[in-house]
Amino acid sequence: MSSIGDQIRARLPYQRRNAASLVLIAFAMVLTLSAFAEVGLARDGSIPAGMFGYGGGLAVLAVAAYFVQMKFAPYADPLLLPLAIALNGIGFAMIYRLDLETSADWKQAALNGKVLTDAANAQDQLIWTFVGIALFVAALLIMRDTDKSDAPLSFTPKTAQRYTYLIGLGAIIMLLLPIVPGLGNTVNGARVWIQIPGVGGLQPAEFAKLMMVAFFAGYLVNKRQAMSLIGKKVGPFSFPRLRDLGPVLVIWFFCLGVLFVQKDLGTALLFFGLFVSMLYIATQRLSWIMIGLGLLAVGVFVAMQLPFMGHVDQRISIWQNPEPYFDGGCLMENGKVVPVNPNTEIYQKFEAAGANPPGLAACNELGGAFSDSRQLMMGLFSLGEGGVLGTGLGQGEPWRTPLAFSDFIFTSIGEELGLTGLMALLLIYALIVQRGMKTAVAARDSYLKLFAGGVSFVLALQVFVIIGGVTKLIPLTGLTTPFMSQGGSSMMANWILIAILVRMSHDARKPAPQAIQDEGMTQIVSTR
Amino acid sequence: MNMDKPIRRVAIFALLLIFGLMAQVNYVQGSQAEDLRTNASNPRLYSDIFKEPRGQISAGGEVLVSSKEIDEEEYGRVYKDGAVFSPVTGYFQGGATQVERAYSGLLSGDDTRIKNQRWFDTFIGKSAEGADLELSIDPKAQRTAYEQLKQATAPGRRGGAVVMDVETGALKVAASWPSVDPNEFANDPRADKSSKRLEQLNKGDGVQKPLIDNALSQTFPPGSSFKILMAALGLQEGMDASTPVDTSDLVLPESNIPLPDSHEHGACGGRAPLRAAFIESCNSSFGRMAMELTIQKMHDGGEKFGFGDRVEIEPNFFAAQSAIPVEVTTADGQTIKTGQDATARSGIGQENVRSTPLQMAMVAAAVANDGTIMKPYVVEKALAQDQSEVYGADPQEYGKAMSEGDAKALQDWMRGVVTEGTAGNLRGMNIAGKTGTAEQGEGIPNARWFVGFSPMDDPKYAFAVMTEGAGAGATGAGPVAGAIMRQVLK
Repeated sequence: MSSIGDQIRARLPYQRRNAASLVLIAFAMVLTLSAFAEVGLARDGSIPAGMFGYGGGLAVLAVAAYFVQMKFAPYADPLLLPLAIALNGIGFAMIYRLDLETSADWKQAALNGKVLTDAANAQDQLIWTFVGIALFVAALLIMRDTDKSDAPLSFTPKTAQRYTYLIGLGAIIMLLLPIVPGLGNTVNGARVWIQIPGVGGLQPAEFAKLMMVAFFAGYLVNKRQAMSLIGKKVGPFSFPRLRDLGPVLVIWFFCLGVLFVQKDLGTALLFFGLFVSMLYIATQRLSWIMIGLGLLAVGVFVAMQLPFMGHVDQRISIWQNPEPYFDGGCLMENGKVVPVNPNTEIYQKFEAAGANPPGLAACNELGGAFSDSRQLMMGLFSLGEGGVLGTGLGQGEPWRTPLAFSDFIFTSIGEELGLTGLMALLLIYALIVQRGMKTAVAARDSYLKLFAGGVSFVLALQVFVIIGGVTKLIPLTGLTTPFMSQGGSSMMANWILIAILVRMSHDARKPAPQAIQDEGMTQIVSTR
Repeated sequence: MNMDKPIRRVAIFALLLIFGLMAQVNYVQGSQAEDLRTNASNPRLYSDIFKEPRGQISAGGEVLVSSKEIDEEEYGRVYKDGAVFSPVTGYFQGGATQVERAYSGLLSGDDTRIKNQRWFDTFIGKSAEGADLELSIDPKAQRTAYEQLKQATAPGRRGGAVVMDVETGALKVAASWPSVDPNEFANDPRADKSSKRLEQLNKGDGVQKPLIDNALSQTFPPGSSFKILMAALGLQEGMDASTPVDTSDLVLPESNIPLPDSHEHGACGGRAPLRAAFIESCNSSFGRMAMELTIQKMHDGGEKFGFGDRVEIEPNFFAAQSAIPVEVTTADGQTIKTGQDATARSGIGQENVRSTPLQMAMVAAAVANDGTIMKPYVVEKALAQDQSEVYGADPQEYGKAMSEGDAKALQDWMRGVVTEGTAGNLRGMNIAGKTGTAEQGEGIPNARWFVGFSPMDDPKYAFAVMTEGAGAGATGAGPVAGAIMRQVLK
């Protein structure tokens, strides 16, 4: 029996589906422009200027991206680009809506000579969307000569295999950049930002994510034979040799390092999960998953024991029971949570003494570990307010949640579009991931298979970690919501991710090279 | 080796992750939504309430409280003469007090009494408009009371006045000094300075707690005005106006400390009929009476008048609890029984006896209304925006505190206080009552009372006035009561 990939390829029509793609893009734009219109109609009773400026801008970018894809990747999966544009557009409309709410604050802050960093900014988001889609276009153009891998200015996903270790090193450097003094920047407790003069803040982890996928794919393609075949069999599982375990342990230590030094639980979880899943794809060994989960458990346990990692313990405690932490809670030795919100005596004592922040000082005085669940709770309140049908765009109060436009944009949308809207959103993510997985299955090369599979899975994992966090399914960790959160790094990295998938799907779905008739009976059956 | 199978499994796993998210979102937005919406920490609970204007509160044809749009679709409350009327209207700034709280549902339109009437509005998704309230308060008298209390009260101290219609229980006046103007924090309830101001007011200054009104929500020692209740108990025990009582100096049995009379001549010179002892307010005789009655009987007898009860003026709007305690619990948790000496002092409204001005007005109301106390109330009616009445006050009996005969006798005695007793200075003011001067400790001014009824010969209104300051009730509270009643009777 032929493999699933062969079956899929056998049924692939080798058709250009550009018309379908255009119709879907048009639909995504209708969605986006309606969202913008609804924001204005609900708030002011008129079509907002932003619909033309921002929504129109996105439409122009979308059409440009479509034409580049039609020209340079005509056999690409027709769904990927429209789905990404739909997500980008809905997120953009929400950021615009939140910007309208906070623009008064901006003006006020500017008058007072202050710079407000914690506010939605639709203008910046348009620029980032532009940069993101421009990168999508650039990536497609650069990767256009997939058949001639030595063509000038051509870097196909396949060429990355040649630079596996260089890319791996690059990923590690990217991840470590925020620790460099003077360059790094601690925001909201996690040191994951770098400041570049003239450009602003960047989160290198978003780019490192893609580089890591390329590195893992290249590394595992080389090692998969050894890692999958040699080992002891214990019951249904066959365990690898100790020396094959080495690299896994290195990655594990590396992720723990990210966790400890940058206090970035989300990224650590993302990378480790990515690695374990790619290891499984490469070797088909369930034992790797067991070992991975075991190491994860050990890592979390260690993190919970270390005194300076108290916040892991806290996050788990907040996750299980967020209410006592609302407006500041203090976890004491015996697992008891003491509120140190502004209505308590001890809080007022430190407030009067000018301690900053008073809640933390009060908690230290009590001898506990301080944490605040306000953001999580406010996000949940947002979801609760939305209910099944939502309040309608522009008619809720999602701006009450801190970072409603970035980490918590999912709950903002949940408030105004309701359960219905969120289901649609999650389905879009699921579709992108599944289209990516299909591309992986259809790819003609082990390296590309692993690459596409890894890229698709890392997207799914990221969506799971951030959305699971804000909906209290898992402990909250800070990651961006792909294509929706306000911010440049995430937008750029995810558009490159889509470009890679589009390019790979084009390669997988395009007809096999025609046999040159002059060579007589020679016939190419399959490229792999 | 082919990787399609593990990719397919990972694809399924990725789908499961997203299905997990879907399940969680369904759980949160489906099952938990109601709990989250009503969670006490949810600021949205307090945000919607500013989005619709609340109904107006008026009294005597004057609109006292109304809503004003502060910015886009947000409303704050505006209080006319806020300091004068806030002991009754209370305030609304998210949280609410007094009438604003008691009828919050009707004022905001959330109440089913409105919603049922407006079922069509509800059906088409339009929120019901709030009802307007009309109070029983006499605004002119209330203003007089406020001005008078302000003048009569010593600096930094407190005063309160209550006037009640004895036949219905409707409150005509409930004034407090000092008071608070809710405009300071309720106009723009979301502003930072509003909450700061409220916080500051909540802390108060010395004994002055402006957010706590001194008419309904604060207790004071009633002093000799308490003798009305003692006399009523005495009459119930079979005494009458001519029953001779010992008014000679009383030395308290346990401590050997004398319980002095205010003067040693006239009725208080050694022996007198009960009526005379009452009119001249002889402490010794009432101290002896208290010890004979026992504190338990005083406590039980007081309950008929409302002592020991948080009198419910309107739903969710209670007066403070007045008390004639048989025992008290100290700050360090010890229980101290009210002994003989303390019982004697309780008999003259001192020791641990505490009363709100409202409670003393209810005592006077029992006398003025021939023994029956009506339940005090302050909201006459509520009108929906189409002027249909959605609520109307229904006067109810609070209780029968004494017999008609005893009440009639006491009416006569209280007239006597003005015509021939301690309140001679109030002659011509058409008020009758009982003076009271309670010592509140070294260096603290007296609580000066005048508790009674008006008009003198045909009692319609009961009142209680208390001001803190040097001197006695007849001069410190009596003229205030006179001025208020003149305005009420106009």
